[in-house]
Amino acid sequence: MSRRARPFNAPARRWRSALTAFIALIFMLPLWWVAISALRPEAEIFRYLSPLSWQTLLPTQLTADHFVQLWQGSFRLAIFNSMLVAAVTLVLGLFVCSIAAFALAVIDFPGRRFVFPIMVVSFLIPFDAIAVPLLGIVRRMDLQNTYIALILPGIGNGLAVFLLRQFFLGIPKDLLEAARVDGLGWFGIYRQIYLPLSVPALISAGLILFVFQWQAYLWPLLVAPATEYKVGAVAIAQMSDPYLTNNGPVFAAALCLSLIPMLVLTIFQRNYIASVATTGGKG
Amino acid sequence: MTRRRNLAVALVFLGPALAAVVLLRMWPAGLAIHDSLLAPRATTYSLENYRYLFADPLFLKSLRVTLTYVVIVNPLQVAAALALALLVNASFPLVGLWRTLIFLPVAIPQSVSAVVWAVGYRPDGPLNAVLVSLGIGQQPFLTSPDQALASLILMVSWIGVGYWMTFLLAGLQDIPQSLLEAARVDGATAWQRFRYVTLPLMRRPLTFVLVANTVANFLVFAPVKILTQGGPRGSTNLIMNEIYTRAFSAGDPSSAAAATVILVTTLLLIVTIQFWLLRSSAESQS
Repeated sequence: MSRRARPFNAPARRWRSALTAFIALIFMLPLWWVAISALRPEAEIFRYLSPLSWQTLLPTQLTADHFVQLWQGSFRLAIFNSMLVAAVTLVLGLFVCSIAAFALAVIDFPGRRFVFPIMVVSFLIPFDAIAVPLLGIVRRMDLQNTYIALILPGIGNGLAVFLLRQFFLGIPKDLLEAARVDGLGWFGIYRQIYLPLSVPALISAGLILFVFQWQAYLWPLLVAPATEYKVGAVAIAQMSDPYLTNNGPVFAAALCLSLIPMLVLTIFQRNYIASVATTGGKG
Repeated sequence: MTRRRNLAVALVFLGPALAAVVLLRMWPAGLAIHDSLLAPRATTYSLENYRYLFADPLFLKSLRVTLTYVVIVNPLQVAAALALALLVNASFPLVGLWRTLIFLPVAIPQSVSAVVWAVGYRPDGPLNAVLVSLGIGQQPFLTSPDQALASLILMVSWIGVGYWMTFLLAGLQDIPQSLLEAARVDGATAWQRFRYVTLPLMRRPLTFVLVANTVANFLVFAPVKILTQGGPRGSTNLIMNEIYTRAFSAGDPSSAAAATVILVTTLLLIVTIQFWLLRSSAESQS
């Protein structure tokens, strides 16, 4: 990726390479420690800390006990809830955001000038900042401890709408005219022309929606405290007690909740950053 | 005629998103303003809740802690992110892997990171083990009013720095190599090239990162709730935790609403300034 024209002189390059590797490994250290603690027997987790030794970072015995214990407890349901909420948000959110973005980018209707800025300004309010007053509304509607309440905030995502609108604006209008001549309606144009051409933007928008839900903590804590609807991010905070002796399952839970988004983001990282940078910087 | 017919279609297409905007943004924001203007048991609007808040030492302390935190953490994270971006903006073996590793902590839910760091900061935890082996001695970290906020800052920086780095790296890679080359030919030192070529061209990504990071830092909640509950002695009681405590532990929703209005207004102001800064920089560049 780098476009540096002149190579470094060799020693400087080697130093830079070593320094980068060192820093990256420091950043990974907490995650590595989570992984080995999740996989080693409970008694081993704190055993090699004083004094430090090679066994601090390299487990000699491996066990799946903590995962088994986790799987038998209520955390299985929590991670299922997290997945369900994220998956439904992804599907519904992509539909709601893309069809709104289509209307804003493609359809010429009176009032378009006003609708867009209203949406921009509203979505500039970060969701977490108004989560507490929103709870009052959801209580009034009697929607506490429901999947609806968990999923709803993730569906209308301003960033996803702006991103898709931006992308749709870049699709040549000739295609639109041709489709109209062929007698395609607005929904047909959206479904058969715009969506298939927008896969990269849809992936980015999907990541934004997914990450929002997978990370959510405050809203699920407020709106769905019941065990049946508890999501992983809330469940792990409640199962941990830093002075408890049973740390293994907590690390196992942390590993489960981290690996899923890490895999997704590693695969699509470039897509995600490029899109957020464009919308955030130029929107 | 067609435009009129288009309006109906557009309203149907926009319907769900507009409903989301109204239900999830406008209504709660309006409700917060309404509640903030009604003192407990009052029937007429007044600024009583705001007067009460600004006379409450707990709230003032929380404001002070939040501002201290934001003023320290933002420059720190942006500088660290820029340094990292400059470091990894080169080609050497495995650089892509190192970038990904530095970026990854942001993928982890904040509550998970908080739980992990809580164990890390334990008296018998790994961080103290390292300090002891270096001969520095055990530190209290989260249990000390002097160290808790700094411990929090270290943790959120581990989460965020790599994320912001990737935006700045994208900005660095947009700088035309020919400009840096020309400066080099003219005899500019590395520092001069950075100061007079790189930095001015990084204004846009830097502004974006600074503002987005400020907003994110005002909203930090999970780490506080999980690690310290605002303590010890209010030293980590950031504004989101203060609002949460007021609304749910102290049973004072009116002043929580007033605090919410203050927070949202502050954030909107910051974002508006961003738009203004980016617009003026775009004009001066074109």
